Amino acid sequence: MNAGELGGGVLFHLGPLAITDTVVTTWGVMLCLAGVALLLRYRLAPLPTRRQTIAEGIVVVIERAIGEVVPADAVRHVLPFIATLWLFVLTANLAGLIPGLHAPTRDLSATAALAALVFASTHWYGIRSKGLRAYLRHYAEPSPLLLPFHIISELTRTLALAIRLFGNIMSLEMAALLVLLIAGFLVPVPLLMLHVIEAVVQAYIFGILALIYIAGAIEPIATDESPAAPPTPTLAKSKNKEES
Amino acid sequence: MQFDWTTFVLEVLNFLVLLWILKRFLYQPVLDVLDARQARVKAEMAQAEKLQNEAAALGQQYQERLAHWTQEREQLRQQLQQDLAQQRASGMEKIRQSLTDEEAKARVRNAATTASHEAELIRQAADEAYENVAAMLRRLASPTLTAGIVRLLVEDLAALPDEQQQALRTAAKKIATEAVDIASAHPLDDAAQQEIARGLAAAAGRRLALAIRPDPALIAGVRIAVGECLLHANLLDELAFFRRRDEQS
Repeated sequence: MNAGELGGGVLFHLGPLAITDTVVTTWGVMLCLAGVALLLRYRLAPLPTRRQTIAEGIVVVIERAIGEVVPADAVRHVLPFIATLWLFVLTANLAGLIPGLHAPTRDLSATAALAALVFASTHWYGIRSKGLRAYLRHYAEPSPLLLPFHIISELTRTLALAIRLFGNIMSLEMAALLVLLIAGFLVPVPLLMLHVIEAVVQAYIFGILALIYIAGAIEPIATDESPAAPPTPTLAKSKNKEES
Repeated sequence: MQFDWTTFVLEVLNFLVLLWILKRFLYQPVLDVLDARQARVKAEMAQAEKLQNEAAALGQQYQERLAHWTQEREQLRQQLQQDLAQQRASGMEKIRQSLTDEEAKARVRNAATTASHEAELIRQAADEAYENVAAMLRRLASPTLTAGIVRLLVEDLAALPDEQQQALRTAAKKIATEAVDIASAHPLDDAAQQEIARGLAAAAGRRLALAIRPDPALIAGVRIAVGECLLHANLLDELAFFRRRDEQS
């Protein structure tokens, strides 16, 4: 185990840029997802085939999951970002199962990039939904004294988002590597099954947390102005997941 | 745990590119297909609802028409019954009239048939009477009666009307020298023949040759044929004369 196994090892340089295996694997994941998307795009038909039905089912499930958290008129705006997060993180997590490859999400640089994108998109959707003044005002509510805590909360949750995904995937791969080194060739197979489950769970958690952050940013102003009103059960449930 | 800014920036760019690709080639087309399908389903549902409403309206209209037709049918049935009763009464009246006419015709026909039968019976009775008379006259016939009839013939020839006498003379002229055919029921003696020759010569205006032959069917008397003129002086022709006269009457 060396530092290269925890971060991304540099494979080659592209001018001044050092291209790591994380970036190359990400390109591979992108190629796979883009290829599937293009394949489906040009085979869409009014009467769906089995593949189209599966694709439509995935999109509909994601749309409904988003619709349970954000207002209905914002679902179609949020869907591309959240769906891409889910699909990318899931595929990237599962890429670690391929012998010789490492999951891009075991690299803190990649998870930090995703967390930074979630951070930026949260503010983007919030400002777009409420307007800049109204959006910034909610940091000073219910009291301006809470402004530093809001800011710290924004930063720490983003950092937690990046570290959580990085820590889980990195620890999984490391545990599998250790078991392989100590026990033998076929012993890590159950651990690989756990890897699949963990990949799905972590992708879901990452996406749902991003969705909750965005939903909190684009909450209607009326809800913001009546803090005594209880949150919706779905939102409360999602927030409980975040705390866990 | 290393942090590489190059990887960070490239990952951000990669994600944004992937986001654009998936949005452009996956989410939007699939959502468009889903929206189109949903719109089509909504349109078909609306169309189905519209058709259902139309069907309900048509059903209501059908029920109303059915009720109207039932009412109209009852009215027509009553009208038909009235018409039938009227036509039945009219027909019965016509039949009654026809029966009356037929009865009158039958009565007339029966009267005619009865009259015909009566006439037939009368004719049969007359025929029988004539035959009985002829039979009785045959028994009474004799040369004496024939001679008496010849005398009466000669008397009648002498008293012939001018018109008949002229016709006899014309017929006599036409036969020229031919003999006059005389059929006699009994043989004629010379006196009777001469008496006939004198009577004919007087009536015809000249003497005529006579050809006498027997004919018992005449019962009594003679029948003289002068050319186209026939002189009936016998009981058979007399009876036939009377029979024709009765039949004509």
